[in-house]
Amino acid sequence: MKKALIIVAALTLAPTFAAAESFEKAYLKARAMYGQGAVFEWQGNQYVATHEEESEANVDATEANAQMMIDKAKAKNKEVAALGFEWKLTGDILKKAEAAKADGDYRKALDLAAQAKYHARIGIQQYHYAQSNWQLSVPE
Amino acid sequence: MKIIKMMTLSLGVVLATQMTQAADSGFTLATVNPEADRTALQNYFKKRFPESEVQDYVNGIYAVDADSRAQWEEIEEFPPYEFAVEEGEELFNTPFANGKGYADCFENGGVGIRQNFPYWSKEEGTVKTLEMEINECREANGEQPLKWGKGEIAKVSAYMAWTSRDQVFDVKIPEGDTAAMAAYLDGKKFFYAKRGQLNLSCANCHVQGTNIRIRADLPSPQLGHVSHFPVFRSKWGDLGTLHRRYSGCHKDSRSKPLKPQTETFRNLEYFQTYMSNGLVVNGPGARK
Amino acid sequence: MQKLKTSFYAAGLMAMLSAGTAQAVDKAELIAMGKAVYLNKSKGNCVSCHQIEDADATQAGNQGPPIVAMKQRFPDKAVLRAQVWDATVNNPLTIMPPLGKHWILSEQEIDAVVEYVYQF
Ligand code: HEC
Ligand code: HEC
Repeated sequence: MKKALIIVAALTLAPTFAAAESFEKAYLKARAMYGQGAVFEWQGNQYVATHEEESEANVDATEANAQMMIDKAKAKNKEVAALGFEWKLTGDILKKAEAAKADGDYRKALDLAAQAKYHARIGIQQYHYAQSNWQLSVPE
Repeated sequence: MKIIKMMTLSLGVVLATQMTQAADSGFTLATVNPEADRTALQNYFKKRFPESEVQDYVNGIYAVDADSRAQWEEIEEFPPYEFAVEEGEELFNTPFANGKGYADCFENGGVGIRQNFPYWSKEEGTVKTLEMEINECREANGEQPLKWGKGEIAKVSAYMAWTSRDQVFDVKIPEGDTAAMAAYLDGKKFFYAKRGQLNLSCANCHVQGTNIRIRADLPSPQLGHVSHFPVFRSKWGDLGTLHRRYSGCHKDSRSKPLKPQTETFRNLEYFQTYMSNGLVVNGPGARK
Repeated sequence: MQKLKTSFYAAGLMAMLSAGTAQAVDKAELIAMGKAVYLNKSKGNCVSCHQIEDADATQAGNQGPPIVAMKQRFPDKAVLRAQVWDATVNNPLTIMPPLGKHWILSEQEIDAVVEYVYQF
């Protein structure tokens, strides 16, 4: 019952999903060509190429905010670890973020945690991509 | 918000299955065909390196690169693993505290059996490697297990390989055993999937990238990868097991390191050894 | 996928402008940084796969093509930047790591290494 509902919903959503994908493409292209803060247009609107995590970290450099960002990054990293796709340096980056927070350098802690969370999120993407594309490099 | 996330996720799954179905020839449990995989891999390397004999792939990079082969042949004149084999023999023949020994745990007294590993254990529902059984033998006889990567375990394993030289690998996937086939497929998938911060698959270096320089290193062909383990590496200055090598290479993709003898690595060994079926045991080996 | 939209537009432009001036002032420094990125194993490690006409780039690998004629190959420098940022767009199977997309290098390090290779 639940399953059927989800599939129907997914199908009706499909056009939006396709559009969302091309937003992602436009975003990545702008970021790749011009770096952080690049402005690009998509379907008549203008956007700034800032990673989700960079926006999240763009808050007051307080201890509470730093802790919140570190917690979010840790949670994401747990998700990717469960998929077997955790990256090697993420744990160290998180440790550095915690050390920066302990030193009172909340800005640095926020930025490091943002990077760690980004790594975890892209690792999850990498996992999903691998599930349907790993076979591309198998000799036939 | 949460609902939307779930829906896109399930859509992702729907899309993914469609894609695999479209492109499928041996990538799902229903269609995977190890023998076809093995032939395709051999043909791939035959085409890339027409001068190299299939049987010579047990010599790794030295099968396809003449320059490093000359250096290696010099090393092999005074094999750096010779002492390790002797020590391995001694360890192998030294009785445990209870009077029993390794020979009691293995078929044929543990001599000439390297080519039968790894194998699928139906009872345990998992891939068993030689090193795993060496430690199980110890524990069954009241001894502490050995560390996986190097030291005594590598020496005992080296001696067992030595007594098996020139035996032909013939790893089997029991017919109709879906779980065994799933383990093989898991190993195959692990080998070909890109992972880690550097986005590298094993195939990036050991299929596509074979014999092409990464800095001063030449990655070997994956065909024949397992035949000569454990290996004496000049870089290590001692003997190491296959899974020690797996750990190092896996880490090179900047993935969080996996421990030796995890299920993932055992499945990988199962897949890789199947690819080397028909080649001979030539362990222990020597590498740069 | 945030809709920052036009309110961020001005901020974005300002960020680009200030980055622009920084580059103009310190181009030599940027190139020096780029060279370090090119050679350093824990940074870009480009040397492990690409030969380049720089005496310090010893023992270069050849997984990738030699870095030559960059201006001819990439008249638009931003296209070169995109290749470094994510090589998988052009070739999903490539061995070249997505240095920007996987945040292996910072955006400034990407700018620097692009500036460095653009001389060759
Ligand atoms: C960045 C390139 C790279 C990646 C990715 C890589 N390797 Fe390696 N690997 C090497 C190099 C270089 C060597 C040393 C030269 C050689 O192949 O003998 C090596 C050696 C090996 C060896 C020993 C070969 C021998 O003859 O003794 C094995 C086995 C191996 N790799 C397996 C793997 C597996 C499995 C993976 C994926 C988890 C992997 N490698 C990923 C570059 C790589
Ligand atoms: C592990 C190997 C590897 C590393 C490391 C690597 N590349 Fe590449 N690169 C390649 C390969 C292979 C190609 C060929 C294109 C492809 O595979 O899609 C390539 C293509 C390129 C190209 C396009 C060349 C042309 O003429 O079209 C440029 C420019 C480039 N790389 C720059 C870099 C820079 C700068 C770095 C370091 C920040 C780097 N690469 C790191 C392997 C690598």
